[in-house]
Amino acid sequence: MKTARASFARLWLPALIILAIGLVLPLFMTSGYTLRIVMLVWLYAILGISFNLVFGLTGQLTLGQQGFFAIGAYAMVLMQSQLGFALVVALPLGLLACGLLGILIGLPVLRLRSHYLAMATLAFGLILEGVALRWADVTGGSAGIRVPQLEIFGLGIGRIGLYYILLGFAALAFLVQAFIISTHIGRALQGIRDDESAAEALGINATAYKVKIFALGAIFAGLAGISYALVSRHVDPSYSAMSINVNILTIAVVGGLGTRIGPFLGAAFVVLMPQFLTQFGHYEVLFHGVFLLLFLLFLPKGLAGLIESSGFLQRARKQAGETGANLTQGAR
Amino acid sequence: MEKFTILLLAGITNGSVYGLIGLSLSLIYSTSRIINFAQGEFVMLGAMMTIFFMVTLKLPIAVTIPGVLVVLLLAALCLERFVYRALMARQAAPLTTMIGTFAGAVILAGLALLIWGPNQLYVPPVFSLSPVTIAGVTTTTQQVAIIVSFIVLMAGFWWLLYRTSFGLCVRATGVNPKVALLMGVRSERIIRFGFLFSAGVSGIAGILLGPLLGGQFSMGLLLTVKGFMAAIVGGLGSMFAAAAGGILIGLLEAMVTGYGTSLYSEPILFGLVLIVLLVRPYGLLGEFEASKR
Repeated sequence: MKTARASFARLWLPALIILAIGLVLPLFMTSGYTLRIVMLVWLYAILGISFNLVFGLTGQLTLGQQGFFAIGAYAMVLMQSQLGFALVVALPLGLLACGLLGILIGLPVLRLRSHYLAMATLAFGLILEGVALRWADVTGGSAGIRVPQLEIFGLGIGRIGLYYILLGFAALAFLVQAFIISTHIGRALQGIRDDESAAEALGINATAYKVKIFALGAIFAGLAGISYALVSRHVDPSYSAMSINVNILTIAVVGGLGTRIGPFLGAAFVVLMPQFLTQFGHYEVLFHGVFLLLFLLFLPKGLAGLIESSGFLQRARKQAGETGANLTQGAR
Repeated sequence: MEKFTILLLAGITNGSVYGLIGLSLSLIYSTSRIINFAQGEFVMLGAMMTIFFMVTLKLPIAVTIPGVLVVLLLAALCLERFVYRALMARQAAPLTTMIGTFAGAVILAGLALLIWGPNQLYVPPVFSLSPVTIAGVTTTTQQVAIIVSFIVLMAGFWWLLYRTSFGLCVRATGVNPKVALLMGVRSERIIRFGFLFSAGVSGIAGILLGPLLGGQFSMGLLLTVKGFMAAIVGGLGSMFAAAAGGILIGLLEAMVTGYGTSLYSEPILFGLVLIVLLVRPYGLLGEFEASKR
């Protein structure tokens, strides 16, 4: 009984607190601007979860998630504007496109290890930005495309509605991540992260797992991109810009790699911090770099690591007896 | 034919720069087993500091080049001290250290954005950009300067690596840092040399390439990737093969852009590098160079 309570506290309490805050927040938000900020937190959390699955959990450093972020957004908008699909059709099809492309790119790229993989995915992201800029007939070039009015089955969706849709997306992404971490899939992925050869010797099909998690990461990145398109009502090549990638890395490192709630903490940091820096304008890039480095050096497990090592959860963990693998350990 | 020679020359010019970046990446990789994501930022810094010295301070070339090099060596020292060695002291994994150099790149780009703003800037050429005709081929002095510096740097580096005892230490560290340390090679110094030398080379590349590309705070990362492609095509473990890979990448890019469209050049290059990586993970020239060690 005690054990069950302790592990509940450790695994679900922080997430439930975040969910509760998310549910009641619109009641206190009077302006559209602050609501938009919170929506950004949710969609960046989805993006963070996408990176967390691929790197934090599986140890495959991908620097091209912003490419899938852009593809998801472009795919959804183009299907709406060029093919005349409804949002409820275009959204899942956009995600499907991301997943398929994830498999297509993942199959060759994931045969590479460590820095080769990082560079190959980085090149993928950079090339996608170039294509989005230059393929102006379809993507609208640097001017971008407008996102049509948000409608589901003919019903217009307001700001609050969109907010809860995004919160639902984030919760869904969290649940999928929690499911993966707590089942045999998560253990297989961590095995691949810690020693791929040893994992294969134990009968884990490393390639299959890596490609699947890469495709899932691509789908979540696409979902984040679609959410961003719905919030900003505009899609342009900046979706695949390097700054998105810097944001992803900052979310992962500041939030805590491989942790459950890390992406939410990191996303809150990445979205809220620039709000305090608006009067500094161009300082944002520099600050992200500095924070990235400071956290790598002094807090390698991120904010989630800080919370987990704090007194309350430490006690809970002691009661739980702390047996078995520590699933919240950061990436190697 | 006229078009072909122009493209050929442009390809070799850009390729020389990619080759120099590839050589720098490969030098740092072979001594420290780290990919330095900030390598392209050093080229960016070289171009930007040229603007600073020649346009803002109105200094002559003779002062500009040493000035740029001093700034770059300082930047490389900071990167080595506060990113590489700081993370190594905390027993960070290689990938974490790589994210660290990425953070270094972001910091450098962020500083450049603060100082020079987001727009593309004109970089004054060290040599003339007006066309000259050498042996029937129309070119510019700047282009010739880039290619000549590439050859001179390459020859100088070869001499340093293969004809001096210091070069022997560098190569020994490349083979096995721990054993080299046991043999009395001060590996830490060799690694610092790797960072400093590669920053210097990239700085020179920046001074020379700046007038052709224009200076922009965000230009560094694409150069890092192209340099890395060069290193992959040639073979990451061998510095001269990486340089040769750079020439190949530059030529291919120029030809695809010249005869096709620039829209396809980067995707085609990327596809090609992927194929090379999958078919021959050690690069096209990798084993040839490796067998010579």
